[in-house]
Amino acid sequence: MMGKYAAAIPADLYYSRNHFWCRVVAGKNRFGFSSYAIKLMQDVYFLDWQVNAGDKVALLEQIGHIETSKAVSDLFAPLEGTLLYFNPEVLADPSAINVDGYDKGWLFEMDGIIDSLMDATSYHVFLEENWEKAQRMLKGKINAGDD
Amino acid sequence: MSQKKLTVVLSQAQGKDPNRRAIEEEIAAALLMESGIDLGIVPALYDLHEGHTGRLYLEGVQGDMVVISWLYPRAAYWLLDRDGIQGKLGETNIKPAGNNDDEDEEEGEETKRPKGIGSVKVQDRFIFCLDLRDAKDHRTYVEEIRRILSECKQRWDAATADLKPAIVQLGMNISPPASNGTLALNGNSANGVPFLKEEMLKIPGRRWYPVIDYSRCTNCMECLDFCLFGVYGVDSLERIYVDNQDSCKKGCPACSRVCPEQAIMFPDYKSPAIAGAPVGAISGLKIDLTKLFGGGDALVIAAKERDKELLRDGRDAVGLSVGIPKRQSDKKDSPKDDLDNLMDSLDTLEI
Repeated sequence: MMGKYAAAIPADLYYSRNHFWCRVVAGKNRFGFSSYAIKLMQDVYFLDWQVNAGDKVALLEQIGHIETSKAVSDLFAPLEGTLLYFNPEVLADPSAINVDGYDKGWLFEMDGIIDSLMDATSYHVFLEENWEKAQRMLKGKINAGDD
Repeated sequence: MSQKKLTVVLSQAQGKDPNRRAIEEEIAAALLMESGIDLGIVPALYDLHEGHTGRLYLEGVQGDMVVISWLYPRAAYWLLDRDGIQGKLGETNIKPAGNNDDEDEEEGEETKRPKGIGSVKVQDRFIFCLDLRDAKDHRTYVEEIRRILSECKQRWDAATADLKPAIVQLGMNISPPASNGTLALNGNSANGVPFLKEEMLKIPGRRWYPVIDYSRCTNCMECLDFCLFGVYGVDSLERIYVDNQDSCKKGCPACSRVCPEQAIMFPDYKSPAIAGAPVGAISGLKIDLTKLFGGGDALVIAAKERDKELLRDGRDAVGLSVGIPKRQSDKKDSPKDDLDNLMDSLDTLEI
């Protein structure tokens, strides 16, 4: 299984293949990082969005960038649709992402059809299936420094 | 020729962000009060075209220089290098926020890999580049400039001690210093700003072009093969260089994705790695999770970006058929699967 400590995945949410959770709040799809993503990244230092509220984005179009204590990554849209709103609080202080990732640490809201998202069970299966690949990637990264 | 003063060039932000202007003004005001400092203010460095008074001023600066800009230090340093404003890169103590103490060790390891082709005809002086995004308080910069000044003074004093007898014996004033390749336009740039302020600060149009970091560039020419807009060229020493800067397509960073050494920067690009973020801070020992978070293959993205520009020019899209390097060949122990391109990006980590 995935490491020593399992990442808890709330059952009432939907999940994207790129590790966002999704909760429908007042008719809008609200997204945040899954605990799996947060475990990989650890403390978020810096979060930057590269699109504006109101912009239409394609599935997996780059929307932002993140730097954490352990990682850097570009961030990509989990859906095709319109980005409606970014959580200003995590922009001002990203620590909420680590402290309360499934609630106050939400990232953005967008409209769009969420049929493509997985439920918690499927996401769990997806994580397990891809764990080996992810591990290889992580180890590859780390070993690359030892060449 | 003993340098008496340290030139500090402040490169303004593009646009009119009042917060940015405010810190610029605070720094400028503080530096005007400092002794031993010559201050020059120019518009955004990246936009200074050939012949702009601000650039002429920079070209005329003799001796050690501090450049304060809204660019990553690497980007600023190599941008100046391309324009013939060269020197050795000075070490600064201002580090990006969020860098911990252990960062130093990582950077130390990073400097052990001098694999790039380096710069040529580097003048014997130091250029210190400070990034205005690294600290919010103008005093941080003023203090660092004081520190740099005292570091430089020690060097100047040591140099004059060596030179003195020769100068005395020659008994002449070697004022436009010969050791410096640039023929000073004025020779008096050390005595104050020699150009009209309005001319210096004239806002140039926005520009967009790649900047090569020759400490990383291995002269592999992949960028030359990839770019179909004639931006890159080869100089008389058969080194790759950014030949036609203004042929570059605004907003397109594709060649920097193709570069196997991440030596190509677009200082105005939104993602830090492409804009020239410090090696230690971004790619140092941090894991790049882009692929895991849904990012595509860098080469595919680059080809798409290039196609967009080709179509905009009324040309045909070429996809991955032209100028796409075959990376697998120069990589030894990596598994041959869909992670290969991601693995390739690890090359930045090689020591």
